[in-house]
Amino acid sequence: MNDDASPDRRPLPYDGLRVVELAGDPAGELLGKLLAQYGADVVKVEPPAGSATRRIGPFAAGQEDPDRSLTFWYYNTGKASLVLDLPAQQAELDALLDRGDVVIVSAPPADFPRLGIDLGTLPNRERLISCCITPFGLTGPWKDYRSSDLVALAAGGILNSCGYDDHSIPPIRPAENQAFHIAASFAHQAVLLALLERDATGRGQTLDVAIHDCVAVSGELANPFWFYPEVLVQRQTCRHAQPAPTAPALFATLDGRYVYFALVLADIKPWNALVEWMGALGMAADLTEPEYAHLVHRQARFPHIQSILEAFCLVQDAETLYHEGQARGLPIAVVNSPDEVIHDEHLSARGFFQRVERDGEFVGVYPGPPIQFSSYRAAPPTPPPRLGASGGEVWG
Amino acid sequence: MTTTAPKHPAVEAPADASRRPRARRGPLAGIRVADFCWMGVGAVATRMLADFGAEVIKIEDRTRIDMPRRLPLYKGDPRSYGEELPDADPDRGGLFNNYSRNKLGVTINLRTERGRELASELIAASSVVTENFAPGVMERWGFTFDRLRELVPDVIYARMSGYGHSGPHQHYRSYGPVVQAASGLSYIAGLPGHEPSGWGLSYMDNMAAYYNSAAILMALRNRRKTGLGTEIDVAAVEVGVSLIGPMLLDVTVNGHSTHRPDFPTGNRLEHPQAAPHGVYPCAGEDEWVAVSVFDDAGWQGLEAAMGRPAWASHPEFASQASRFAHQDRLDGFLAGWTGARERHEIMHLLQAHGVPAAAVQNARDLTETDPQIAAHGTFFELDHPVIGPARFEGFPVIMSGGGADHWRSAPLLGEDNSYVLGEILGIGEEEQLELRIEGII
Repeated sequence: MNDDASPDRRPLPYDGLRVVELAGDPAGELLGKLLAQYGADVVKVEPPAGSATRRIGPFAAGQEDPDRSLTFWYYNTGKASLVLDLPAQQAELDALLDRGDVVIVSAPPADFPRLGIDLGTLPNRERLISCCITPFGLTGPWKDYRSSDLVALAAGGILNSCGYDDHSIPPIRPAENQAFHIAASFAHQAVLLALLERDATGRGQTLDVAIHDCVAVSGELANPFWFYPEVLVQRQTCRHAQPAPTAPALFATLDGRYVYFALVLADIKPWNALVEWMGALGMAADLTEPEYAHLVHRQARFPHIQSILEAFCLVQDAETLYHEGQARGLPIAVVNSPDEVIHDEHLSARGFFQRVERDGEFVGVYPGPPIQFSSYRAAPPTPPPRLGASGGEVWG
Repeated sequence: MTTTAPKHPAVEAPADASRRPRARRGPLAGIRVADFCWMGVGAVATRMLADFGAEVIKIEDRTRIDMPRRLPLYKGDPRSYGEELPDADPDRGGLFNNYSRNKLGVTINLRTERGRELASELIAASSVVTENFAPGVMERWGFTFDRLRELVPDVIYARMSGYGHSGPHQHYRSYGPVVQAASGLSYIAGLPGHEPSGWGLSYMDNMAAYYNSAAILMALRNRRKTGLGTEIDVAAVEVGVSLIGPMLLDVTVNGHSTHRPDFPTGNRLEHPQAAPHGVYPCAGEDEWVAVSVFDDAGWQGLEAAMGRPAWASHPEFASQASRFAHQDRLDGFLAGWTGARERHEIMHLLQAHGVPAAAVQNARDLTETDPQIAAHGTFFELDHPVIGPARFEGFPVIMSGGGADHWRSAPLLGEDNSYVLGEILGIGEEEQLELRIEGII
């Protein structure tokens, strides 16, 4: 949204915000990354052996090394790394907390003392906003229960909606740390609310972010279906879990890919668009017959319609179906893999992907900032820090 | 979309005084939002603003009833998608109630010139404008960022769409599953050799909404500091790509393609090498428990919880690397143990031994029996004139500085017309009556 070729002088939304990050999981790390992406000064405090995520693969070029973990690289761009040996260096951590605006603590409550965090004394710093992200929260009967991304998605209800039509197959986890991502996005909102509050009152506060609760309110239709008609949704292959089965929405294509298309019979406009499209390829079969103008007839012939649609998709490649269908106003999508997403023409035209380098070495192509402002800018992409790269000097 | 005579005439001033707009509490008190959002993403994004004190005025159109009002999530009346009543009461929809609590509702027919004038007056009386139409719709009504800046010089104009407001696919139609497919999030979930299992929900409706809420808060805070308004462009597809995670770098850094026969890995976890790591059958129909073991401590806890069965001491399960290498056999044994037991019983037993585990909970579990959700008050209840008392999904963060201000369930269609037109826009009762008769409101 900034077409001017001159240096971008728009302000950074988080300019001047000092953040201390004590995070050993992707929830706190993603929150720190979002703050850094928009200009916050984020210091990641790590133990001498490095953050736990530095030991999680995959590794760049397969070399197991705390400075080559792609998990660490993904979640930690834009930060400084400060190694503190706790409790020996507690005084240094305390000094940082005294000068910080926000501290992110992301770990099970039992690990807080080892991270140098004492919930009893944190609130003594009047202006500090303490954002504590834990598996089940700081209070309640399950507060000490252990978790993982899979366990969090199970406990919070989202896993119950995901999987295959075949229920002899267990529910299947949507991949890559999504429970942590959900928690990070709520933590981000909460930090902003606390900043607005502090701007007005001068006082910080403690934010108790339970990953469990964040997942539990993010299941979309599942809870309202219980709150109102008191029915439970049942998982289906790559489409909405529903109280009763609905038709498949994934269609195999000529080039061995898939498109997603949920045919809604009730609306006549997309129906007509679809039949016209099929007709243009000589594949509308009997669907052009006048009886199909009636919803009852379409509903009665649904399996027949679905089989024609399957054949129609099988003779075309996925990209053609995607762009031609969209051009005809149909909400159809190609099922992109990560390999394909990075070459997406739309995202390329928007300049979404960023090339990140470290000491002249190519680090990777990253997704860019997910929010665009006309009046504000995101920070230029900076690489993930090497362990202890700040050399002990921060906020000089 | 044709204009038809309204089936549901504008309601009179609410009979119940507790539903009358009142001063709000919270960090966003005093901020008025002209909210053009509809469907899921926008409604969830502005819900958070309404929860924390903003006066969010939802602008609806009687000739084009918001989908969540129409979807058949009715109390005591189980129906599936597609079983909507043709003449459904728009005030009965449960999903709308969940999305639009704490908001005000006004009906304005934006397909009329007078309607667009009213909307302009409302924008001029607000400082934030939100919308999630396909690009071009607001422009067609004349509501460009430049026009909005004439009405409110420091306006925050938050635009939430599937593909963003630039680029070759900006006009593509999208909703949650389309965004998930296009951004890569559907492809990466599933069993090897199967079609993707993807998502059984519009995950990206929620996630894009949460990012949009944050974007608006960022703009509000910076406007207070710099005086600058802003246009905000959040493309749900870009948020989606940013949520792929480290797997994306495995492609861009290592050139490790995700087009391979052992991809994706289902419930198994390769990074780090966890085992057992899966979802196992329990006693009962379609009941499951999730278990994650990352290290020797977790394994020893699991062994102890199971009463040290003979199979567990087999040498192939002696180390984490070996357990990972022999997952097929390990999963078979573990499923044999879990299969005879109740899912919550397993969860509590394993947790007592320090093993991360949870029952695969459904919405009934979360609502009726989950003691953690209950202790935190994450779901709360409000009364509604048509629906009656109903539960809501709250903001899932406990804030020591004070939480959300829940003052009212969702507005009835046009419930706040006389407040918005009369008290905010200063339109007299006689003219309001004319607007009603002419079908403008």
